[in-house]
Amino acid sequence: MAPELISSLSLWQEPFMQRALIGGVISGILGGWVGSIAVLRQLSFFAEALGQASLLGISLALLLGLSPPVLLWPFALGFAWLLRELLKRSSLSADALLSLMCSGALALSVVLLSSLPGARLSLQQLLFGDILGIAWVDLLPLALLLVVTLAYGVISRRAQILISIDPVLARSRGVAVETHRMILLGLLALVVAASIKAVGVLLISGFVVIPACVARLLSRSFNVYVLLAAGIGAFSAVLGLFGSAVFNQPSGPMVVLVQALLFVMALLAGRWVAQTTTAASVDRAR
Amino acid sequence: MTAPLLEVNDLCIARAGQEVVSGVSFALQSGSDTAVIGPNGAGKSTLVQALVGLLPHHGGTIRLLGHTLPRSGRLPRAIRDQVAYLPQKLLIDGRFPLSVSEFVRLGCSPRCHHREAVSAALERLQVSHLRRRLLSELSGGELQRVLLAFCTVHPRKLLVFDEPRTGLDPQAAVQLQELLQQLRLQEGLTILQITHDLSMVRRSSDWVLCLNRALCCQGPPEHTLSREELERLYGRDYVLYEHSHHH
Repeated sequence: MAPELISSLSLWQEPFMQRALIGGVISGILGGWVGSIAVLRQLSFFAEALGQASLLGISLALLLGLSPPVLLWPFALGFAWLLRELLKRSSLSADALLSLMCSGALALSVVLLSSLPGARLSLQQLLFGDILGIAWVDLLPLALLLVVTLAYGVISRRAQILISIDPVLARSRGVAVETHRMILLGLLALVVAASIKAVGVLLISGFVVIPACVARLLSRSFNVYVLLAAGIGAFSAVLGLFGSAVFNQPSGPMVVLVQALLFVMALLAGRWVAQTTTAASVDRAR
Repeated sequence: MTAPLLEVNDLCIARAGQEVVSGVSFALQSGSDTAVIGPNGAGKSTLVQALVGLLPHHGGTIRLLGHTLPRSGRLPRAIRDQVAYLPQKLLIDGRFPLSVSEFVRLGCSPRCHHREAVSAALERLQVSHLRRRLLSELSGGELQRVLLAFCTVHPRKLLVFDEPRTGLDPQAAVQLQELLQQLRLQEGLTILQITHDLSMVRRSSDWVLCLNRALCCQGPPEHTLSREELERLYGRDYVLYEHSHHH
């Protein structure tokens, strides 16, 4: 066995690796579930904007001398609410407005971070994640968020599907569309804020969106789609973390790279299945 | 004579501060097929959305299945379960991960036996063979049948459709209308549909509401689809166009 592999296997016995593994799996499940609904609602770019806004939240926390997680969760919720209100009231198209907010938040946070002595050192960790630095105390809110998110996912399954198909149809069946929209955006904001530690600001939207895209290529039912997206999120977190330890690379890019590879594999598998099915039906027709 | 299933009196509806529908009064008898016709922007969709509790009304009354609807427009649960509404242009996103049977099941009330009800609804609408297909893989005609199965998987009294035949070829449109008539007769359903297909209205509807922000006229097709009434509703150009197409 290669020495790198042996040393990486022994790493799993270290408490920091075990914490990272638990954090990665929880973040992966959360990202997979919330991403599966966000993709159906075409909210992918919203996740990107929330990710970049989180950097602003962290910068503000550092500026105020607070611990970043203390300010990050309420900041992400507030930013999601602000985005929603602006989208409702502005005459600008959603993509233009989100792009504007993304760039504005990123520019302001870089200026703020540059003015803080010593903060530049941690910029790479903020941008690309530092899952190995996760503490036991970070895992508790993450686990609570998982319980709340999964419970809401089960309760609101029918509402999520109907709203994704057509909000008017959903309302006619008694679904409180606006309430569910607000809860979903709130959860998306919290999941993004909670997963920043694992994958960083720049890759968070991919981390949330890619598992859903993979699952969408492979699913023919809603339940399978959601479970597969959550499973892919968790699986890629484990594999990415393993790759990070073996190749001594930052955790965020490795996790997202695994997700991207899974997407390519799913795409090729989907094409192969489609070609095989077409060939078989042509043969039957002859 | 039994009380009407739906009774509307002097109804006024505003959207964004502007009155869109005013002074509309009519009644739907149980088991009837009523068409709402009128030019674009006449307030047809607004009217039917208010009737099914999707929009508030600021004047008049709506009495549905013996209950007077609140002006806020929210239907009580007991009424909502007896009414199905299909909005205009339901576009299902490509590869939306939802099978036909999963979708139809969403139309069930919490009390109904899902599996049996879904199978019966798919059978009734002749789409049992599509149960495993994705919604996004259906043709326009197939999708409309599946939507009808969604609407009728739970026993309803009133079906409200906003242009159900949009995008269908003539054959699929006729087949859909035949299915609707079959459902109406077998299940005793009352149908209210917005349509621009006047030949279909002539053939199948037994009451027509001619709307252009207010009701221009109402009655059986032989009266409301006369040249004079259509001219009043759509203007002289439209009637000349239709006349030249028929000859």
